[in-house]
Amino acid sequence: MHVTSRWRFAGYTLIYVVFAWVCLFTLARDDGLGLGRKPWENFKRTAAEMARPSFVDVWFGATRLEYRNDEGQVLRVENRREVEVRFLHGLAAAVWTTLRIATLGTLLAGLLALPLGLLTASNLAAPKWLSIPAKFVLDACRSIHTLVFGLLLVGIVGLGPTAGILAIAAHSMGSFGKLYAEAIESLDMAAVDCVRAAGARPLQVFFLGVWPAVLPQFISTHFYIWEYNIRDSTVLGLVGAGGLGLLVSEAISLFQWSRLATILLVIVAMVMAFDHISRAVRSRLL
Amino acid sequence: MSAEPNVIRLQGMGVRVHGADLLADIDLVVKPQERIAIIGANGAGKTTLVKTLTAMMRPTSGALQVLGEDLARENRPDRLRALRSRIGQVFQGLHLVGRLSVHENVLIGALGRCESLLTLGRYFPAEERDRAQAALEAVGMGHAAKLRVDRLSGGERQKVAVARALNQDPQLILADEPTANLDPVAAEEVADLLARIATEKQVTLITVAHTLKLLPNLAKRVIGMRAGRIVFDAPIGDIDDNQLQQLYRGAPA
Repeated sequence: MHVTSRWRFAGYTLIYVVFAWVCLFTLARDDGLGLGRKPWENFKRTAAEMARPSFVDVWFGATRLEYRNDEGQVLRVENRREVEVRFLHGLAAAVWTTLRIATLGTLLAGLLALPLGLLTASNLAAPKWLSIPAKFVLDACRSIHTLVFGLLLVGIVGLGPTAGILAIAAHSMGSFGKLYAEAIESLDMAAVDCVRAAGARPLQVFFLGVWPAVLPQFISTHFYIWEYNIRDSTVLGLVGAGGLGLLVSEAISLFQWSRLATILLVIVAMVMAFDHISRAVRSRLL
Repeated sequence: MSAEPNVIRLQGMGVRVHGADLLADIDLVVKPQERIAIIGANGAGKTTLVKTLTAMMRPTSGALQVLGEDLARENRPDRLRALRSRIGQVFQGLHLVGRLSVHENVLIGALGRCESLLTLGRYFPAEERDRAQAALEAVGMGHAAKLRVDRLSGGERQKVAVARALNQDPQLILADEPTANLDPVAAEEVADLLARIATEKQVTLITVAHTLKLLPNLAKRVIGMRAGRIVFDAPIGDIDDNQLQQLYRGAPA
């Protein structure tokens, strides 16, 4: 028994190694693994520009930056400090938009997934003609990326946060439904039985036996997906669905690496802060 | 219904699930304030028997009456709830709502008589709150009322379960291996508690047990079960080692 399982493990490992090698080999044969024309120089230049994020200009930027044409004539004078302060204001507004999109999208997803999660929980034994379609909807939602939903919805409801909120809701609904169902499936039936055994009515059994057991799990799930969506919604702007992504795509298309560096730092700080809050709340719940 | 003087009356009761007899030919009459222990090896049908008494399982043959209610056929849900509220239950392991407080768990015992929608939000009348507190004091857990139940030790949890049963103001207490997961000291405390409450409140007490050590306190009459059947039913003084041997490892009955 032990020997066969060890051989089986070796077999699976071999299959995996062969598969990885096939991926590598076929991509290399199709010329898909090139590094471009001067990767090292490009990397150094990008890294150098990103090493000085644009926000330091708020304190150290030139107060009279002169733009001249080829004849040396001054076209425009700019106070870099003021420009950067204006950019940071815009960035703060975008962070706020992203947070709002993620929050409302997650809330909407959590509510929409509730009936679907109840239908798919195997121990609640919902009728098959309801549970199978519900499971299909959840699986479909989970397998289509938020960005794809975003592209579709921008075409339907137009540019802006509405598309972002709906895109997040559509994708997260799948994750919520699955996690809800798992929470209900792992329910402590002993607790439910002891409430029933005391002669409680069905609603009392639900609110005193089932609800206290699943509510913390549901809230924990909500924070987990909320946190995930704050990360996810930073790219939604790329497809015109509002928020930070818009600034990211702008900085990239204008080759403003120092501004991109500022934006990324803000995203990292925001996600870390929310991670921290979310983890603290979730650990306190369980 | 008031004419029925017995707490429990079983006649030729059987439970058959997927072609297997979990219980067969059970005859049992329990009078008010009797104290009975049901003993037997794992799988002998002790827990199944206890479950039929609260209609958590239904007999497939024979007659079954508990506190005057006929449980051999479907009952109206309100009658069934009324019956269950008159039977206090203490199970092995954690049969409490882990995330609720000790006090709230004892209040669950009051659900049978509190029908207000406010109970759904765990709001109970002041007199019920006091009554639950009194039940906790009676089992020596008054100090822990505000703690969450899953923070307690096994023995403390079982005392809370006894308080919940007590708060139901039951006519019958069913204790299914109430001391199974407890250390010897806690086991003795819980057994003493059950015996004391049965005496003070004049409650009929049925205990399912593995260890005979705690029995003299809990039971005056012992029912031995084996393979879904009752093999002996005698006063505790009349049970000898031979009968016990037969119960746990003797030849098939």
